[in-house]
Amino acid sequence: METIRNVTRHKLRSFLTISGITIGVLALTTMGALAENFNALIDGGVAYFGSSVQVGAPDGSSAPIIPISKVDELKKVQGVAAAFPGYSFSAKPGQLNFTFGPGDQIQASDPAEFGWGAIRLTYAQGHAIDASSQGQVVLGKTIAKEFKKKVGDTIDLPVKPADAKPDFINHTFTVVGILNVTRTAPDSFAYINISDGQMLLKDSLPVAIRSQIDTSQITESIDVYGQRGSSISQLDSIADRINAQVSGVKATKPSVIVNSFKSGGAIFTAITTAAALLALIIGGLSVVNTMFMAVAERIREIGLKKAVGATTLDIMREFLIEATLIGAIGGLIGYGLGALITIVVNVTTPPGQSTLFLITVRLTVLALGFAIALGAVAGILPAFRAARLDPVTALRNE
Amino acid sequence: MAEVRLEDLRKHYKRGSEVIRALDGVTVDIGKGEFVAVVGRSGSGKTTMLDLVGLLLRPTSGRLLIDGVDTAKLSDRDRAHMRALKVGFVFQEYNLLPTMNVLENVMLPLRYVKKPADGRAHALELLERVDLTDRIKHRPSELSGGQQQRVAIARSMINRPSLILLDEPTGAVDTETAEQLVVLLKRLNTEDQVTIIVVTHDLDVASQTSRNIRLKDGKVLADERVGAASVA
Repeated sequence: METIRNVTRHKLRSFLTISGITIGVLALTTMGALAENFNALIDGGVAYFGSSVQVGAPDGSSAPIIPISKVDELKKVQGVAAAFPGYSFSAKPGQLNFTFGPGDQIQASDPAEFGWGAIRLTYAQGHAIDASSQGQVVLGKTIAKEFKKKVGDTIDLPVKPADAKPDFINHTFTVVGILNVTRTAPDSFAYINISDGQMLLKDSLPVAIRSQIDTSQITESIDVYGQRGSSISQLDSIADRINAQVSGVKATKPSVIVNSFKSGGAIFTAITTAAALLALIIGGLSVVNTMFMAVAERIREIGLKKAVGATTLDIMREFLIEATLIGAIGGLIGYGLGALITIVVNVTTPPGQSTLFLITVRLTVLALGFAIALGAVAGILPAFRAARLDPVTALRNE
Repeated sequence: MAEVRLEDLRKHYKRGSEVIRALDGVTVDIGKGEFVAVVGRSGSGKTTMLDLVGLLLRPTSGRLLIDGVDTAKLSDRDRAHMRALKVGFVFQEYNLLPTMNVLENVMLPLRYVKKPADGRAHALELLERVDLTDRIKHRPSELSGGQQQRVAIARSMINRPSLILLDEPTGAVDTETAEQLVVLLKRLNTEDQVTIIVVTHDLDVASQTSRNIRLKDGKVLADERVGAASVA
C-alpha cells in the first residue's frame, strides 16, 4: 500500500517514467510478435526441409524438369525410404503481393506424402484428396479464408488474373478438405492430385510444344525421405549418395536449406529485438532517474526507518519493490497495448495476406518478465544508495 | 525498563586535519525507569550522546551497555533489531511520513519486528493515551505541531520499548504544548516504567525530569538529581 502511495506521490513523474517502460514493452511486444510470426514460418520451413531431401534438375539445366523415372532410381539409393514427385504453381499468376512466406501456391503431390512430412497436416473440415480422383482440392486455412471456400464449394485454379490473355487456362476444382492452421507455408497452399498437377503443368507450357511433351513423364522436383526419424546429417548423407549415384538430378543437402532459413530468422529476430530492447533500455534509465530522485527526496524518511529498526536489507527491499512495481505497471500496460495492436492488425489483415503478428506464451513471459526485471535492476543502484545512508546524517538532512 | 551504561565513551570525527571530539570520555550510569535530561550548549555533544545510546552511531572507543549487552559486539543487523525492540525515538521535527495517516505512522515500527497480534489495537490504545483517537485517519500535514509530536511519541511506544530517546522534543512547539508534552512523558515514565532520556535546551523541560546531565565540549560537566544532591 505504501509502495503504491510512493509511486503515486509524484503523479506526473511516475506517469512519465511508466510511459517510458510502456513504450519500451509495447515495442518489444509488437516487434517480438512480428519476430515470433516470422519464426513460426521459419520453423515450418526448417521442419519441412529438415525432414526430406529436395531433388531437382541439375544446375544449368535449360528447364527445371526431371524424368519421373528418377523416382524409382532414387528409391534404390541406400537409406531412401520413400520418394514422391511434385509440382508447384502460383495460385494467383501475375499478381504481386508482399507477404511473409511463399504466398498462395498450388501444390500437386501424392496424398500419401502427407504421412511423411514433418509438418502434420490435419483437417478442420472434410478429408484428404482421394488418390485416384481428379478435380479435388484441399485448401490451407489462409487460402480458404481468402476465397471464402468451404468443403463442397468449387474453385477455379489457377486464379484468372484481371489482365489474363485469351489463351489462359484454368480448371474447376471441388474443395474436399480444409486444413487446420499451421502458421507456416501450408496455410496458403492448395493441394491437388499428381495427375491434376501434370495437367496444370501442360497448361503452362507454350502452345507450340504442349502437344509434344508428355507431362506424366516429367516432374519439377522429387521429395526424398529417409527412414522415419532420420536426422539432418543422415539426410545429408542420403543427398551425397544421390548426387554420387543418380545422374541427371541434383539433391540439395537439407542442412544447407535449414541453415539458410535459420540465419534469415536469426537476423530478423536480432534486428527486431534490438530495436525493442533499445526502447526498453531508455525506459529503464528513466526508472533509474526516478528512483534516484525518490531516494534524494526521502532521505529523512530513510533515516527515520533506520532509527525505528529497519535494516539495510529492509530499506533496499522497499525501494526495489517500488522500482519493480513501476516496471510491472509499465510492462502490463505496454504488453496490453502491444497485444491489442497486434490483434487489431491481424484481424483487419485482408483475406489472402498472411497475418503479421503472433503473440506466444514465450513472448508474453519475455515482455512482462523483462519489464519487471528491468524495474528491479534499475532500482538496485538507487536502493543500494538509500540503504547505505548513514541514519544520523539522513535524519537531520534538510 | 532499560539500564544504560556509558563507559569512557568517545566519538571523534575528522574534519580535514582537525579531530572533532564530539563526545570525549563520558561515563554515565542511567538506571531503569529514570527520566533524564541531557543539557548543554550547541556542540556540547548532547545529540551525539543520544545517537550513540540509540545505536545510530558507533563509538570511537569506550563501551556502551544496554541492559548488560555490550553493543560494540553487535552486528549492524542486531543493532537495528535492538533499536526496533528496545528503543523508541522522538525527534524535534517529528519525522512523520507524509504519505501515511496517523495510525499508519504509529504502526510503522511494527514493520521491522515480528508483528505482535495486537499491533493495531496497541496503536489505537496509544493514540487514545495521547488523545488523538479522532485523528487516526488524518495525514501529518493536517495536524498541529503538538499533535504531530504526540503521534511521534505514540510511535516511539508501539514496540513497547524500555528506553525512549527524545531529541529536542519541544523545540518546535509553543510553551503550552511543550508543557503538555512533558506531562505526557512523565506519565509514560511512571505508568509504563520506561527509561527516558531527553536532550533539550529547554530548562523548563529539564527541571521536570529526575536527573540532569550537563555536557560541555563532549565531557560531563555536571550530573545532578533534580531537587537532590549532585551525583557526580
